Amino acid sequence: MSLAADSPVHSSSSDDFAAFLDGELSSASSAREEALDEDGQSSSPANEEAEDENASCAPEEEDEDEGDLESKRLKRPRMEQLEVAECFEESATDESLVHNSEASTSKEICTHPGSFGGMCIRCGQRVAEESGVTFGYIHRGLRLGNDEIVRLRNTDMKNLLRHKKLYLVLDLDHTLLNSTQLNHMTAEEEYLWSQTDSLQDVSKGSLFMLNLLQMMTKLRPFVRTFLQEASQMFEMYIYTMGDRQYALRMADLLDPRKEYFNGRVISRDDGTQRHQKGLDVVLGQESAVLILDDTEHAWAKHKDNLILMERYHFFASSCHQFGFNCKSLSELKTDENESEGALACVLKALRKIHHTFFDELEDSLDGRDVRQVLKTVRKDVLRGCKIIFSRVFPTQFQADNHHLWKIAEHLGATCTTELDPSVTHVVSLEVGTDKSRWAVKHNKFLVHPRWIEATNFFWQRQPEENFPVSQQKNEGSVPPNAE
Amino acid sequence: MFFHIVLERNMQLHPRHFGRNLRENLVSKLMKDVEGTCSGRHGFVVAITGIESVGKGLIRDGTGFVTFPVKYQCVVFRPFKGEILEAVVTMVNKMGFFAEAGPVQIFVSNHLIPDDMEFQSGDMPNYTTSDGSVKIQKDSEVRLKIIGTRVDATVIFCIGTIKDDFLGVINDPATA
Ligand SMILES: [Mg+2]
Ligand SMILES: [Zn+2]
Repeated sequence: MSLAADSPVHSSSSDDFAAFLDGELSSASSAREEALDEDGQSSSPANEEAEDENASCAPEEEDEDEGDLESKRLKRPRMEQLEVAECFEESATDESLVHNSEASTSKEICTHPGSFGGMCIRCGQRVAEESGVTFGYIHRGLRLGNDEIVRLRNTDMKNLLRHKKLYLVLDLDHTLLNSTQLNHMTAEEEYLWSQTDSLQDVSKGSLFMLNLLQMMTKLRPFVRTFLQEASQMFEMYIYTMGDRQYALRMADLLDPRKEYFNGRVISRDDGTQRHQKGLDVVLGQESAVLILDDTEHAWAKHKDNLILMERYHFFASSCHQFGFNCKSLSELKTDENESEGALACVLKALRKIHHTFFDELEDSLDGRDVRQVLKTVRKDVLRGCKIIFSRVFPTQFQADNHHLWKIAEHLGATCTTELDPSVTHVVSLEVGTDKSRWAVKHNKFLVHPRWIEATNFFWQRQPEENFPVSQQKNEGSVPPNAE
Repeated sequence: MFFHIVLERNMQLHPRHFGRNLRENLVSKLMKDVEGTCSGRHGFVVAITGIESVGKGLIRDGTGFVTFPVKYQCVVFRPFKGEILEAVVTMVNKMGFFAEAGPVQIFVSNHLIPDDMEFQSGDMPNYTTSDGSVKIQKDSEVRLKIIGTRVDATVIFCIGTIKDDFLGVINDPATA
């Protein structure tokens, strides 16, 4: 039966096209047999898999494009098994022949700086998939070798410094926003369902229902201003322990016009180590990178780059996850302060660091290290304070090992264990201790340990009167972010 | 490069498709199954242009499905090493730029971008010559030369270069 004749997809134009191609191709049909053989042997396993197993070729058509020229190549070592069309090199003009011989000499010296789809990004040759670091967050199939990463960092650094910018790596959860699974929401949070903002124009909203992810997300107050302002001083990355889909969805909410991150969104799927975040996938020199994250231990290797954030817990599930048995901001129908919250304070600190880095340092630009600047700026916060602790650590505890002691010193305070008139602050959990009474008697500041923590998060000496030491041990029922 | 070739495929058809419209059903299923797919050997199947023949159906024991060997003509697209291709830039970054020509994903690394073009960051990252006359950014159309290809199940990866005469931007969206 002749089914071909009245095929519904037959059109005269495709007939013409077919005829043209047939004519063009029939000139190279001599060495079919060899070519077929060659083709049979040469398909790489990866290719075999990809191939549609049902589609077999009519031999007349299949190999005409590679025909006789391909057969001449049989004795040559084949660098690229799949390249059935290398004949094109030889049938090409003289000029491109010259180029190709150049290419083949450079093949020997090419160091294969990276790969895309398993091919070297410089010479196009096949390379082993395993080498280098994956940069899947930039594009599927992209890998870069260590030397290339170093080279890119160096050139990029110059470019960036010329624009008076540094790098800023931003965590998502509890730093820029808070998300909850819908089925983890409490009864007291149900009112939120009717208050979510439109997904049509996310640039104005801050509370979003994401049906696909079965999640609700609340952006941290001030985050839009923060990103806008920080983008003037930094090239920004998102780096989250969430998966890729979540990371991209959040990036859409934070950066709907794609002004800030331009493909620089790194998720758990893109890291090189489990449960760790690393700057190895960030194409910026470590001496120019700042990190904002609420989780210190994720950055074990880069503590000096880290600005630790106070956790933003909006939803009840988030409070519970971190062991707070208190009402969440959502349940109290309140939120962090917009203009004096954590992000606003950190932005001020970032401005100061940026300013110090570019406008105050004397040495040459490429000798500067933002980690050093971070330390110096932090040391200004409690400059001139002398702190003594009372009943804050267990008696047998090595005092200068305690994290509050360390934080206070990082903030520029002097810590001591000996009471003397130069002490300015007594940090205590109780009013009844000797040192506490001494403080009251000599008109020194008597503050709760939270004063140090808050000062650390806000990069600013907090008003002491806001952190009184109460009569009873005060483990408050106040949520961590409440004003 | 495009080719018009004949391919063969064994089509399985459910008995409910038998009857007067058997042939139409077979063809529309074929189009659905094949068009837009890639194979390592032939590249991307752009369109089926005709049916050469439908062989005798073979009834599958137990299921009632019938397998027809179908030979069909189709236009396939497969890039070759050395080929010049026109493509649309999809992403520009410090490593180079990515471009697309239909199903083909091409990467042009900054090793293969002329040395006088420099990367400019910002909300519209681009590569620009020092005199500013030529600019490559997202949505630019570029003419490039393929120096490596690899065909995957669904995409075709290529390495391209614009470091050669007559290659580079052919249409700049910023000035268009
Ligand atoms: Mg976090
Ligand atoms: Zn190479």
